Amino acid sequence: MSIIQRNNVTLNGTGGTAMVFAHGFGCDRNMWRFIEPHFRNDFRTVLFDHVGAGRSDLSAYDPEKYSSLDGYAADVVEIGQELGIEKAVFVGHSVSAMIGALASIRAPGMFDKLVMIGPSPRYIDDGEYSGGFSAAQIEELLTSLDDNHMGWSAAMAPAIMGNPDRPELGEELTNSFCRTDPEIAKQFARVTFMSDNRADLSKVEAQTLILQCSNDIIAAEHVGEYVHNAIPGSQIRYLQASGHCPNLSAPEEVTLAMRDFV
Amino acid sequence: MWPDGRIAKVNATLCDWLGRPREAILGKRLRDLLNVAGSIFYETHFAPMLRMQGYFHEVALDMVRADGSIMPVLANAAERRDTSGELLFTRLTLFKATERRQYERDLVEARAAERDARRQLEDMVMSLQAGMAEQVAIVMEEKHNSELKEQFVAVLGHDLRNPLAAIDAGLGKILRDQQWTDRTPVILNLMKNSVSRMSALIDNVLDLARSRLGGGILLNRDEARSLQSTLEMVIAEIQAANPDRTISTRFQIARTVRIDHDRIAQLFSNLLGNAVTHGAPDKDIAVDCTVDDAGNLSLSVANAGDPIPQEMVPLLFQPFHRGQVRSNAHGLGLGLYIASEIAQAHGGRIDVESDQNEIRFILRLPAQ
Repeated sequence: MSIIQRNNVTLNGTGGTAMVFAHGFGCDRNMWRFIEPHFRNDFRTVLFDHVGAGRSDLSAYDPEKYSSLDGYAADVVEIGQELGIEKAVFVGHSVSAMIGALASIRAPGMFDKLVMIGPSPRYIDDGEYSGGFSAAQIEELLTSLDDNHMGWSAAMAPAIMGNPDRPELGEELTNSFCRTDPEIAKQFARVTFMSDNRADLSKVEAQTLILQCSNDIIAAEHVGEYVHNAIPGSQIRYLQASGHCPNLSAPEEVTLAMRDFV
Repeated sequence: MWPDGRIAKVNATLCDWLGRPREAILGKRLRDLLNVAGSIFYETHFAPMLRMQGYFHEVALDMVRADGSIMPVLANAAERRDTSGELLFTRLTLFKATERRQYERDLVEARAAERDARRQLEDMVMSLQAGMAEQVAIVMEEKHNSELKEQFVAVLGHDLRNPLAAIDAGLGKILRDQQWTDRTPVILNLMKNSVSRMSALIDNVLDLARSRLGGGILLNRDEARSLQSTLEMVIAEIQAANPDRTISTRFQIARTVRIDHDRIAQLFSNLLGNAVTHGAPDKDIAVDCTVDDAGNLSLSVANAGDPIPQEMVPLLFQPFHRGQVRSNAHGLGLGLYIASEIAQAHGGRIDVESDQNEIRFILRLPAQ
């Protein structure tokens, strides 16, 4: 199984510089559907699924390797090496913003620019630091996953069968979007919400843009500002878009902000 | 819900279910009415799904009532857009799902219980199997050891006792005589023979112990010595003890070989001794030794005699084996066993070919 197949990597675009898009916890690379095509004229765009998500090779999922974000960052570096990527742009949503930061530290010269959409270096409050969640709340989330109590993994399948209202999404999407192996989703949730990468932020040398949504319960404004203050020379841009997924809810605004930066 | 997610309208039923007045709900976002786990999931899964496909169906959510208690619901949602694709509003329909959720949770628990039970059962089967295999191995080992022990005791009881009894008798006679007589040197020579036999028996038993309990027979290989001289020395010894037998030889030795000469002599002595003991007394014994250019060695000892039954052949090389018909049973039945151990230590083997005319033992050693 090659790295390209393992991570379901596809290339588009005609530009000289590469732009790598990484999806966050919850869905898959289709998150970039409304954004990535806008950059094909100026960049060589790279889409991929993290192992365990979307159409990645589930058999490559190694619980030990993916027990921290470093395993995911190692995959990003491997993809970059495989494609010969240098001085590229990395666009990471949610937890992948931190995965991109770790990858840029691991492989200096691979990513010159980092776009972080809704980043959080730590979700759980810690003394003075406010991540937005108490340890008990995150524990409740992880327990509810254990219970399968959200019913989301099983109930998801019938919900996404067929989509007469949005035919442009195509057949391949309606059957796989947001669908994850429950065991893998459980561990990815644990790795994501228990992560603490605050100490890594100061090591980021790539030029960094933070896109901060309004009303994002998962990565609140003050968390984005914490990231902004910790990464030397970074910029922060506040979006009108509310919620945690502006790449879906406000793609025009995100595209515009990214264009100004790159 | 407005395009920004704030709640625009709500019916009285939901207000009643949640125990919240209408004005406490309007302007809030759906996630404000969910527990923390639910709101995270709403943001990471359901909201993207709604945006991507324009609807979701039968999503399980936990809403929080005014008193903090949880009300499980199933939610359907559909976006309404204008002709230009602009989002106008999202309609959310909620179904109370307390009973259903309880049922689902029972199912999950039942499945978990079933999985645990199955795992326990599998563990039990596994450990049972492992335990049985271990028991069988112990019993086999014990059986093997006890057979060996019985044979060993029998050997010590008979074979070592006989020469010892001869020595004892000789000593008794000399002590009774209390002086040197004409008979004394004869008695002493008989006693000396008994000591030699006992010494040979002890050597054999030690070889058995080494090969069974230790890591096999250790070799002291020496390429400088001549294989033909080693073999001729053994033949001379046996010939001297059996002057009336004819031993014909044929040597075709192309090169020197790296073997333990003393051990090969011991092996050959055993094969040749057996041929003398068991072969037809009036027929020749034929020794044939070949070493080819590559260094492969083949040494055969053939004698005329009754054929060895096919079913007996594998038993020949077992420790303490003795042929059924024995005229003078001096050995322990270890000779062929030790010979085959010596062959194996050299990476080779001993085969038996037997037909109406002759019995032939063949040692084959591969080139070193």
